[in-house]
Formats: sequence, structure tokens, C-alpha cells
Amino acid sequence: MYGDATNWNEDEYRESILKEREIQTRTVFRTAWAPNPNPDAFVVASSDGTLAFHSMSSLVSQSAAFGYSKGEDFMVAVPEGMVRAHEGPAYDVKFYGEDEDALLLSCGDDGRVRGWKWRDFADSTENHVKPLLELTNPQHKGPWGALSPMPEINAISVDPQSGSVYTAAGDSCAYCWDMESGKIKMIFKGHSDYLHSLVSRSSASQILTGSEDGTARIWDCKTGKCIKVIGCQEKKSRFRISSMALDESESWLACGQGKNIAVWNLPASECVSTISSPAHVQDVMFDEKQILSVGAEPLLRRFDLNGALLSQIQCAPSSAFSVSLHPTGVSFLSLSQHVVAVGGYGGLVDVISQFGSHLCTFRSSSL
Amino acid sequence: MRCEKAMEDGEIEEGMVTADEYPTSEAPRREPVKSALELLRESKTSVEEIVGRMLSIKREEGNNKSEIRELLTQMFLNFVNLRQANRAILTEEDKVKAETERAKGPVDFTTLQLHNLMYEKSHYVKAIKACRDFKSKYPDIDLVSEEAFFREAPESIKDQSKKSLLETIAERKKFLSSLPVHLKSLKKASIPVQNQLGIHHTKKLKQHSLAELLPPPLYVIYSQLLALKEAFQERIDLELLGSLKDAQAYARLQSKKDSGMSSNTESSRLEDDGPDDDDDGQRRRKRPKKVTSKEGSDKAGLYQVHPLKIVLHVYDDETSDTKPLKLVVLKFEYFLKLNVVCVGAEGSPDAPEKNIFCNLFPDDAGLEPPHQSTKLILGDGQVFDENRTSRPYKWVQHLAGIDILPEVSPILFGQDTPDNIDTAKSDASVPDLSLYRQQHRVETVLQRIRSRKKAHLALAEQLDMLMKHELPAVNCEDAPWALHKVLCALDSWLQIRSSARKSCSLTLSSVEQVPEPMEIDGDRRSLSGKEDVESIREDGELPSLVTAAALITTSSDQTPSKVSSLARSRQLALMTKNLDSPISSKGKSPSFKKYEDDLDLVLDDDSEVDEPAGNNEAHVEAFGPVKADNSWVDYGAREFALVFSRKTDDGKLWKLEAMVQISMEYPLRPPFFSLSLHTSSGNDNGTSESDHYNELRAMEAEVNLHMLKIVPSDQENYLISHQIRCLAMLFDYYMDDPSKRGTATSVVDVGLCKPVDGKLLVRSFRGRDHRKMISWKDRGCASGYPC
Repeated sequence: MYGDATNWNEDEYRESILKEREIQTRTVFRTAWAPNPNPDAFVVASSDGTLAFHSMSSLVSQSAAFGYSKGEDFMVAVPEGMVRAHEGPAYDVKFYGEDEDALLLSCGDDGRVRGWKWRDFADSTENHVKPLLELTNPQHKGPWGALSPMPEINAISVDPQSGSVYTAAGDSCAYCWDMESGKIKMIFKGHSDYLHSLVSRSSASQILTGSEDGTARIWDCKTGKCIKVIGCQEKKSRFRISSMALDESESWLACGQGKNIAVWNLPASECVSTISSPAHVQDVMFDEKQILSVGAEPLLRRFDLNGALLSQIQCAPSSAFSVSLHPTGVSFLSLSQHVVAVGGYGGLVDVISQFGSHLCTFRSSSL
Repeated sequence: MRCEKAMEDGEIEEGMVTADEYPTSEAPRREPVKSALELLRESKTSVEEIVGRMLSIKREEGNNKSEIRELLTQMFLNFVNLRQANRAILTEEDKVKAETERAKGPVDFTTLQLHNLMYEKSHYVKAIKACRDFKSKYPDIDLVSEEAFFREAPESIKDQSKKSLLETIAERKKFLSSLPVHLKSLKKASIPVQNQLGIHHTKKLKQHSLAELLPPPLYVIYSQLLALKEAFQERIDLELLGSLKDAQAYARLQSKKDSGMSSNTESSRLEDDGPDDDDDGQRRRKRPKKVTSKEGSDKAGLYQVHPLKIVLHVYDDETSDTKPLKLVVLKFEYFLKLNVVCVGAEGSPDAPEKNIFCNLFPDDAGLEPPHQSTKLILGDGQVFDENRTSRPYKWVQHLAGIDILPEVSPILFGQDTPDNIDTAKSDASVPDLSLYRQQHRVETVLQRIRSRKKAHLALAEQLDMLMKHELPAVNCEDAPWALHKVLCALDSWLQIRSSARKSCSLTLSSVEQVPEPMEIDGDRRSLSGKEDVESIREDGELPSLVTAAALITTSSDQTPSKVSSLARSRQLALMTKNLDSPISSKGKSPSFKKYEDDLDLVLDDDSEVDEPAGNNEAHVEAFGPVKADNSWVDYGAREFALVFSRKTDDGKLWKLEAMVQISMEYPLRPPFFSLSLHTSSGNDNGTSESDHYNELRAMEAEVNLHMLKIVPSDQENYLISHQIRCLAMLFDYYMDDPSKRGTATSVVDVGLCKPVDGKLLVRSFRGRDHRKMISWKDRGCASGYPC
């Protein structure tokens, strides 16, 4: 494939070895299901800073052609569209708005939020769609005006009703951005280490942040004040809050911290249960009154609110960073299914149906 | 009445003539010849008679006219007879004419011959006459007898007697016959001088004469290498080994075979005592070869080798010394029956997987013969005799001008088709030396051999250092790890697996890869009860596709490329210990009991439900694009276990264990590290693999991929040292942190802001994967600015 004594190209061969390794060391940090015009599509944000969008129908046909042959390796899927969104890893991707007018927002290690019109993004065949929007995290000024390095943005959360976007940044602050002006509306200061996760609770106009310092905080968006600190700040060995999720009614909070998931009832403001699992939790999500979680193990677990394990399904990534449930269900094979996309180490994305079968498993091919 | 009868007869005869051929030849020959004339005469006389009578009647006049009429009819009858006779005579005449014509042919021919002979005769006669008439210049001198000559000859002629003449002739003959011996000794005497002057004329001649007897593939190798040496002073030496006699014998045999006479016995005899008649001092070197060929006597026929071999000495071409370092000696040999050229390293009895020529180019492990035809000849196993140290690499065939069609159609590999079609075309075309030269095959191969050998020498040197538990030094200022003072200790460096001997059989490796959790499930499957199945269904959770899941687990653990199965299983063992320890220690904690059941059931259930799905997949697979079999990559790869240890401030001893897989293609394919971290503190339950999982993967990515881009290309052969030093640095860096982090109460993004508690604080983790920040300054500077 790379030539032999008759047409040897050593540099190309070297490149191909490194490229192969690059694909295998990549991490998928987030997958997000697309809104209406392409309900079976989803966007994959990877550690190489790319956003790739795949559609289920083409993936399934590709994987049918590929087969799980010999269990050797996974299919390398060619995305329908791809953009290098960030320098360094892209950590989170969210859709802002509804249907065709939706914006695709992504954030990454370069401290920037970039937004594309989803329609343009989906229709474009080129690899460089211009972002419609770019927000840059402020850098802190030190003595003599020295600027701090650019803090990364680890999570993004949207509230289209108030026209705001919230970001969880590496400078231990959360920011609220006005989507109209692209200006910072509010800064939420108080955490002592960088932020991992952020969810907005628009019904109460609150946001919740989870931090490296081992605490989660609830903030009031109007005043920018911290309403409540969940978890104690004192303990040295306290694990980071890696992930948070709210259920649809926004009254239940799941909080992944270390190997535990704490389930909070927000109206009652009490921790209902603590679920422990053998591996570090890296992402959580609500599916109605159940909790889906993934972590540093190749398993997708499902719990009920009391912390009882309902199921665990093997998934492809040996360490999963993202679990995302399709909001309405993908119509696939002429029946609507609740599907979950799990992304993680190895650049792998595993799409699992509600019955636990793997609809497709693939590595996203690189740019 | 008679006449009518006669007429009737005549008519019948006529009819018979036309109707049938056979009777005509009989009947008209005898009867008509006699009768025709008679009939003619008879008729004539009777006509005359009748005319006479008619005349007499006319004269008498008045006689009854009826008589005349009677006579008239008789007359007509006679006319008819006349006609008949006439015709018979005519046909007879025709027949005779034809016969004469036939007889005339031979007569003419004989006459012509006669004439020719006559002509010839006259010519000879003329010549004889001319000879007879010859007149010499000296018509009076006659031949005399010897005695008469001696008696009568004058003195001057008498001296040179015939005897003396004979003597001189003999003497000269003797001198002539002694000359070759003199020349030979002269030639021998000149050899030291030739060596001194560096003109190997004698040897060259001998080699050339040998070269003419080389089989075509070896001849291409020889001539092309020689051409390169002569044209560009390439630092190589070529030598042909084997006896001239055997080669000649083989060539004769070959020509005999071509003319249809094949004798197997002779050819095997040739193979057997071939090496014995070596005239040079190579006899001793040949011995072991002969033994190996004899030991597999049943295979001897298949593995029959041409008596001539090419020995290629490759020297280092980077030094400018007059006496360059000899890097490697290659021996090319040609297998007659199999039609393959093999190469081995001279003087190294290594197993094939240690052969540095394997995977010189991608997918060229040298395990199986490159030609389909050879595979057919070898039969089922298709493996080239494993005990042979010389292997049929594809690159050797390319060097020999034998082009091979790829085993699987390149189109099946999809995507990069246009490129592949090109190569396929070139492969399929008839080997042609202009293409051969155009592709720089010889140069490419020599360059690869040199760099491979050098890399392996450097690698061996570094491995020796590591064996002594010393970190090899890195002579490179640009790399950050070169400047780092290593704090952790190199605890051990062990070779786990010498070489992957078994790499081409898929079955074995896939069996090895079955991860442990599945085994546990398998054991426990029998224990699971049906009631549990029901309970799980009530929860609304339906079975998952176990076949797919199982496959995925199998391969998901391989994700970091082709981790060796051992490392994989060890890594897995560690992981599964965490995952499944509750299972093995049953009933210890009730909360985990639940897991165990669930896991068990989900998997168990699926195996029943999804059987058809599995079949379906197999079906699909058959039609899907063929995936490249990458098992060759592992062939000849060695695997080492490296342990770094570091004691942290809180008294814990951390051990970073790395499985290092060093491929034959080192350094082109950089060594691959798979990491795991253990701590040996008092209580073991504190840490688990998953605590450090992401960090370890980030370190792997750094060592296996990202840092490689920083290593300067001239340091390539010392890649393993770079990687190990880099790993040590990353480990130190990782271990350093927790203590520091413990004292920090606040981390601001870099230490230039107002510190909260009077210390300058540096952020060290970043991102969703909680990655250790690694930042280093590039030593280079922007172009145009002084450094």
C-alpha cells in the first residue's frame, strides 16, 4: 500500500504510520445530535480540534459494507462535513436554537467559542466553513500588563430564551455571553480551580457549574451571585466535578464526581442518593427518570434515581467522555428508537440503541 | 424378320452403351472388333449384291416392283448395319487413341532422361578430353622416389634432412605446450600485485565467467549491483560463490532438459555434491549449507538451490575512510524449483524473525513465498521452510527483476484506488530493466539495508544500556527531555517476548485476544437462572447485541494500535481486576452483587437472542471490502517491560510500567509504549487503573506520537532513548504534582496574577480529560532574527 522496492516513498510511509497512531490516540470529547433538517445527524468534537458531522444513514450503510470483520479494527468513517474549529482539542459542542435556524456552537482549548449556521455547516461540502460568530475568553492581566495564557473553555451551555450562552472556562470563572452583541454579560467568579462542566437551569434562571476544586456551585444569573455550594471545599483529596446533568423538569441534578454520581433534588436542595461505580465518571445524562453515565471504562451504565444499576452495556471507547441521547429518537429501520452516542478515547463513537445493540461504531477519519 | 431382330439387337446394344459403362468395355471390345469389320464387309457385299440385283431388275424392267421394295428394305437394313459398324469402329479407334496417349507419357519422360544423360555424358566426355589435353609448363619433370632424391639432390637441400625438420617441429610443440603452465604461474604471481594495486583482474574474469552461468534472476541482481558499483563507486562488494563445474553441469542439464530429457537423479546428485568440488577456500564455509539441504531430504527436491550464490558486502557509505566499516553481508540464492530468490545474512544463524531484512519494506515478513505459483508448489501450509535462514522477501524478487502481482486485487482496498491501480499496472507488466532502473530499485534497497542495519546496531547498543538499567544518554540539545534531570529510577528492563514468530496465523492471535471478562461470563453463564432474566426484562432494559459487543471489547482494547497481546492481556487483567473484583470475591459487598447479576444477564441473554444477527454480519463481511491483514507488522517485533519507580513525599511507591514493542521496522515504525501505573502502598484499594487512565493515555500519545515530531531526523536511530527519557520526564512531572497541588488553595491561570496566599501558583491540569499541561519552548527561533 505504501510502496515497496519498486516505488518506495519512505516519507509517505512514515507519515502513514504516524497518522494511524494519531487516529488511535484521538479522543472524542462530545457528540451532539443535530436539530430538525437532519435529525439523524450528529456532530463530533475531537481532541484534534475538529468538528465532524455524520449522519446515521450513511454510517449504517458504511458499517454494513465494512462489517465487524474479525473484530480487528473499527471502521474509519468519512464524515459528511468537517471543520477544524479550534487550535487544540474541541471540548464541547451544542446547538443554539431550533430547526433550520440553529447555530452550532463549539468551544475548545484555544479559549474560543465559535458558531456556525447549522444549515450552512450541513450543506457545505468544503472543509472550511467560515464561523458566523467567535467569542474569545478574556485573558487576565497581571503586573505590568502581562497577559495570562489563554484559558480553555471546557463546557458550553445555551439559553436561547434569554439569548445567552454560558461557558465554563479554565480561569475558574463561568461567563455569560450575549448572543446579540457577542459581549460578556456576566462573570461568575468563586471557584478556586478550573471549571469542567456547566449546565443552565433556565426555568429558575440559574446556572450550575462543576469544578476541578471538587465543588459544584449554583449561581443566580441575574445577580451573578453564588447561591449554593455543593460539596465541601476543604478536603484535599476531593475529586473534581467532571460532569453535570439536569433532567427535563430541571428539578433533578446528577453530578459526576470522581467515581460517584450524586443525585440532587434541586427544589428540596438535598442529595437524594450517591451512586458509586468502579471507574471515574466522565459524563452523565438524564433519560427521563434514569441516569446514563460513562467514565474511564468501556461501559455505558444506566441507573435509576435511587442509584440502582439498571443495565450496563459494553461500548467501544475504553474511556468515554461523552454520552448523548437523541432528544426525540431517530427513525431508523422504520421505527423510532432512542439512541445514545458514546464518544471517547481512540476517536471512537459508538451509537447504541435503547435495546443495547450497536447501530454503528466508528472512528472519525481525520482532516 | 431377321433384319428386325438384328435392328433390335443393335438398338439394345446402343441402349446398353448409354445405360451402363461396365458391359460396354466388355462387349464392344471383343465382339465388335471382330464383327465390325465383318459386318462392314458383309453389309458391303450384301449392298453390292442388292444393288446388283436391283440393277438387274431395273434392266429386266417390268418385273414386279414388290421385289424392288423388298430389296430396298433390305438395303436400308444393310445401311443401318453399316452405320452401326462404322460407329463401333470409331469408338474403338477413340479408345485406342486414349491408350496410346497414356502410354506416351512414360515414353516421353524416359526420352527426356535419356537426353539429359546424353548431355551429361557429352559434358563429361568434354571435361575428360580437356584434362587429357592439359599441358604443364615443364612437361619433362617426373616424380622421383625418396632414394632417387637423396641420391641425386644437390648438397644445399640435402642438409635439411626431413629428420631434422621433424625434430624442430617436436621441439616447438613442446615449448608451446609448456607455455600455459608458465602463464598460469605468472598469473598466480601477479595476484598479489593485483591486490596491491586494487585491480582484481583475474578475479573479475573468473567472476564474469561465473556470472554468465547465473540463473536469470540472480544475474539481474548481480549485473545491476555491479553496474551501480562501477558507475557510482557505491560502497559494496560483490562475490560469486559456488563451483564453476557445477554451474556448467547444471547449465548442460538445463539444456538437456529443454530438449526433452529430464533426469531427476542427476539433478539431485548435482545438488548434493555440488559444494564439494569448490576449488577456492570456500569449502569449509559451504559445509553447513550442504548439511541443511540434506537433512530435509524429502524437501530437497523442492528446495533445490542453484549452485551459484551471490555474496554482497555492504559498507557504510557515510564515512569517507578508505576502509569503510562493513555493515552487513548478504547472500542471495536461487531456488530452482520454486523460482524464488532468497536472501540471508551471512554468518548469522538467527531465526528468521530476527533477520534484519524482514519488513525492510511494508508487508514483507518473508514468511510465505511471494508468488502464487510457489504457494501452489509448496502446497497447503504455504509457509516457506521455517528453518531456512534465507527468506524469500518480496524486495529480493523486485531486486531480481521478478515482479509480483499483489495477492488481493488492489481495488478491494477502496479509497486510494487511483494510486493503487497504477502500482498494480506496473506490477503486472513484464519486468523490464529500464523500468527497473527508473525505479532505482538497487539504490532503494541498499539505502534501506544500510539504514536498517545502522538502526539495529544503534538499537542493540541502547538495549544493552537498558539491560544494565542505565538510561541511555541523549545527545540532543533541542529536546526538553534531554535537559531534564531524571528523578525516577529505572527499576527494570526485561525482554518479555523475543519475537513474534507466529504472526501470520490469525486464529491464534485472536484466541489470545479474548479478554478476561468474557471468560468470567462464560464460566458464570451456566449459573444464571431464568427468573433473573425475567426480572431484568421488567426493568424495561432489553438485551444488547452481544456478538457485536464481544467483538468490540476484543478490539477496543487494541485501540492503541497493535498492542502486543501480552501487554494487552496484562493491561486488561489490571482493568478487569477493578471491574470484576467484586465478582471474584463473591458476596463481599451486597451493592456489587447487583452488578454482577446484571452484567451476567445482559450478556447471557444476548447470546441467545442475537444469533441470527451474528450470522448476518458474517454474511455481510463476505461481501464487504477486504481489510488489510496487518499481522505482518508484529512479525519480528520484540517486546520489553520497562518499570520506572518513584517514591512520593507521602511514602507511596509509584511504579510506571511500560510495555515497549519494538518493531523490526525501527525506527521507521517507532517503538510503541503501553503504560500502566501501580502503587505499592500499605492499603491497596486506594488506586485503580481508571484513576490515571486518561493521564496514561495522554502520556502514551505523547511518547508514541507527538514527541516523535520533535526528535531531529539525525537522531532517528536513538529514538528509543528519546522516548524513554521523555517518558521518564513525563512520569516525574506527573508524580511531582500532587504534593504541589495539595498546598495550593487557589489556582489562577498563571502565576503573574496577584497570588492569594503569597505563593506564585502555576496551573498544571487542563481540559476535560484532566490532562497534565506540558509546555516547552521550541529551541529554534524565527528566521531572520538572531537567536
